[in-house]
Amino acid sequence: MATREAGKKMIMLKSPDGMEFEVEEAVAMESQTIRKMIEDDCADTAILIPNINSKILSRVIEYCNKHVPTTGATGAAASDTVAPAALAEDLKIWDAEFIKVNRATRFDLIQAASYLNIKGLLDLTSQTTIDTISDNSLEEIRSFLSTKNDYLPEEEQTIRRENQWAFQ
Amino acid sequence: MGKAARAGVRGLLEEIVVWEILVRLPPKALLRCRAVCRAWRSVTSTRKFLLAHHDHQPAFPLLDNGSYLDLDNDSIDICCFDHRPGLAAPDRLQSVALLNLGDDNAYSRLVASCDGLLIFFIDDYRLFICNPATREHAPLLPPPNHHWTLLAMYPHTPTGEYRLLLYPYGRNPGNEPAHACQVLSLGSGQPPRNVGWPDAISTGIMMELDPPVLFRGNLHWFPSRDDSESKMIMVFDTISELFRQMRAPVVTDCADLFEIDGKLGMAILDLETTIDIWMLQDYEKEVWIFNCRIELPVAEIRVQCDNYDDHLNLHVMVVPGDGELLVLVKFTEWLLWVGMDGKLVSRLPSKEVDATYLQLKQTLVPHTFFPTLEGYVVNAPPFT
Repeated sequence: MATREAGKKMIMLKSPDGMEFEVEEAVAMESQTIRKMIEDDCADTAILIPNINSKILSRVIEYCNKHVPTTGATGAAASDTVAPAALAEDLKIWDAEFIKVNRATRFDLIQAASYLNIKGLLDLTSQTTIDTISDNSLEEIRSFLSTKNDYLPEEEQTIRRENQWAFQ
Repeated sequence: MGKAARAGVRGLLEEIVVWEILVRLPPKALLRCRAVCRAWRSVTSTRKFLLAHHDHQPAFPLLDNGSYLDLDNDSIDICCFDHRPGLAAPDRLQSVALLNLGDDNAYSRLVASCDGLLIFFIDDYRLFICNPATREHAPLLPPPNHHWTLLAMYPHTPTGEYRLLLYPYGRNPGNEPAHACQVLSLGSGQPPRNVGWPDAISTGIMMELDPPVLFRGNLHWFPSRDDSESKMIMVFDTISELFRQMRAPVVTDCADLFEIDGKLGMAILDLETTIDIWMLQDYEKEVWIFNCRIELPVAEIRVQCDNYDDHLNLHVMVVPGDGELLVLVKFTEWLLWVGMDGKLVSRLPSKEVDATYLQLKQTLVPHTFFPTLEGYVVNAPPFT
């Protein structure tokens, strides 16, 4: 559990399986959903995060901790236009490690990032699946995402013909 | 929670995953995915989805290979500079579509880009508009009896129209005052209307303006290499249709305007091998803040390009690419990408491509004006 640091406002996040996570408000506000709750004053005590179990929520918090903009000595936010390249490089390496998870966890992270509205995490978690879909045949996409083909063969042919060029 | 309710939640969550994935696919892969199953086809065909999909598409700098068309190879390759590490092809080129205009054209130029639409100028007298994602194409009929140059294509928010801002020059037979720019609404069937005229700009410079930056409903140009004393940014308000001027951060002869992170920025380029980046902190009050200085890695550029001429002829462009600022340098026969830290990131042979100030953010959202244009075709030649 995180310890309270001087001057930093802490906030409590609760998962549906009863775990509580104390995080810095700035870290929690990486989530636009939580940011809105805090700004609308709906978050006095603890915020219950529905549908996201503690295992996934802890990973999401880990991501937000790493990605929260650090405040430099001059007081200027590091999210200004030109981020130091070395920092950006470090983050990319960290992201690549973070996303080495199995498919089920990755889908859980996509759901969590979508509900909590964390753009960076969504981009990161969806990219592997996007690459898979972009590079594979329809059959492979269906089996990868456990989706059933419910077209009649002639229907599928018609739809393919509509955008023939996309299959070349 | 009952079993049925749990299954309902599960289905809903799966839908979220599918939406979040599909909304991020490149247009071509998305169109393919419509053949996966009925549910995917129906979700990806709604306007709400297509708008979200456009919103998620990266905006890449467009490259131009048009000047190099010849009779052996007369297709236009719509091509972007994709810099994303781990995602881009090794040469960082992303070919979006090929257009084959037949063998009678010698020269084409990319002149405007907006919301996934591109306008090309062929042989300096014909225009066409296309959407490489939906593969729609139509010739554009410019106002007759004028020589003119296309200053911009932009969305007119109150009407949802796409409009062209034209600058006519030379004599016109009706003896009406030529000192007016003209606005043409695409698909309206109306003739162009005269609008304001930027007083402070010398007429010669109007012909050589780089494409403008659209920001807060205003078009912004910085007339580089303008001889006039003013050295101001020229602004066209797309709603009031008036021109005005805006203060630049410093007095400069050569600079690039760009938009990044919802702010207007300016790169000062007349310091030879040094680039100063300024950001507009307060748009209304025109308060500029110095952001950073980039030193070009001249020694490394010389080594990489194997060129040690006394005269260093670098052509520098500062353009946004998918939320990052890119420094693109044309030097001899190379196009170089220099990072914001002043380090050389990559180089590609630029014999056949030029960087442009235009970006492409692809869209599958239907543009209603398109089918009303004369000569409109979809999914057919000149798209190959």
